[in-house]
Amino acid sequence: MSFRIGSTVLLDPLSLNALQSYKFQQWRILGKISNVLAFLNDYEIDEIHLIIPSKGKSKKSINAISKISDMFISTPLCIGGGINSENISEITKDPFFERLVFNSALFDNHSLLNQLSKDMGRQAIVGYVPFVIKEGILQIYNSENNKFIEVPLDFWESVSFSCNELILLDSESEGTKQGFNFEVLNFLKFPFGRILISGGVTSADIKTAKRIGLAGVSIDNSVLHTEFSIKDLR
Amino acid sequence: MLLVNIIDLGLGNVSSVENWAQKSLLSPKRVSKPSQLNDGLIIIPGVASAGEYMLRLKKTKLDQEIIKRYKYGQKIVGICLGFQIMTNYSEEDSGTECLGLFEGKAVYLDNKRTHNGWEKFKFDVREFENDINFSKRRKKTISGRVYFNHELKVEINDNSIIHVLDNGITSYSFKDNLFGFQFHPEKSQKTGVELLKMLV
Repeated sequence: MSFRIGSTVLLDPLSLNALQSYKFQQWRILGKISNVLAFLNDYEIDEIHLIIPSKGKSKKSINAISKISDMFISTPLCIGGGINSENISEITKDPFFERLVFNSALFDNHSLLNQLSKDMGRQAIVGYVPFVIKEGILQIYNSENNKFIEVPLDFWESVSFSCNELILLDSESEGTKQGFNFEVLNFLKFPFGRILISGGVTSADIKTAKRIGLAGVSIDNSVLHTEFSIKDLR
Repeated sequence: MLLVNIIDLGLGNVSSVENWAQKSLLSPKRVSKPSQLNDGLIIIPGVASAGEYMLRLKKTKLDQEIIKRYKYGQKIVGICLGFQIMTNYSEEDSGTECLGLFEGKAVYLDNKRTHNGWEKFKFDVREFENDINFSKRRKKTISGRVYFNHELKVEINDNSIIHVLDNGITSYSFKDNLFGFQFHPEKSQKTGVELLKMLV
């Protein structure tokens, strides 16, 4: 099976604009989400990770998801942000996506992940883990309280069981060309073959990711701002 | 425009399949009960679980209608879960009796693996045209890639045409007027659109 090159797109749930994020702190509007998705679709990128930065505000997420559900995307799509036990049945009624991305549920809502695993299969569940490494200690982001925290006990074991794949976002490199911090892999107890990396990913990082057997990468800025060939990167 | 019936039981990625059909210049129609079916292609979509899907097929009596229409020669396409439930049995949901259009079963991948991503796809209808009723088109071959996202695989035990990947996964199977795809043609970009045009 081939190494995958996907793209992360953030969606503002109110304006339905695509956002570009820098270092997990600042956003810039890229344009209408419909245009950005159409562009990526034409580009034949391997998959799109569409994230709504909800920070626990799930009502906005479900409205945004329903508004974009009739867009024609013939590219595999993962969506996430604000999906919880209350809205999951509405979201999965007629999925226009193949997979769902979770963050806060990884910490405290295993029943949601278990239920989804029964309804759509474990292949549909992707964990989204933004991280920073401070003074040699890994901290991961929990969107429920909008904080980076130390990794809870048994977190990797639990995530490995409930999630099919993980997207690791280097939040300090996001939106830059400074390269992904591969040091994070030293902290993980999760199979490399089920990991995608994101945040500042460069062409050299793609080669490294392939060499060490990761599942793929999710590119942020470069795909939207730089003319380069996805085929060459593959 | 050629007609396409998409089975819509409130489960599965119906809208994605609908978009795929429109992109292929076909005329899709959502079908929730037997009386709504026309003589066009029938598509059973994926992205759901076998137990609940079969329950709803039986409740609406679409299970028997699909079997009847298969016997009359109507073309039926199953995608991912739709392909898996064309067999006799699926291991999903503690075991589920399925439609039995293909002799075979759907079993979990070894070691609870999943299979996500793209595989190369080469297809030449001339290899099958004595056995299978493809559309008469000038274009006879497809060379591209297709997208997989699943945790069960199909094992076929009859004389159907099957294509198995190097990793042991049945990529597709054809028999008479049946077309089963483990991959998602509706999410396989240009390759998927070309494939649907060959089917109808």
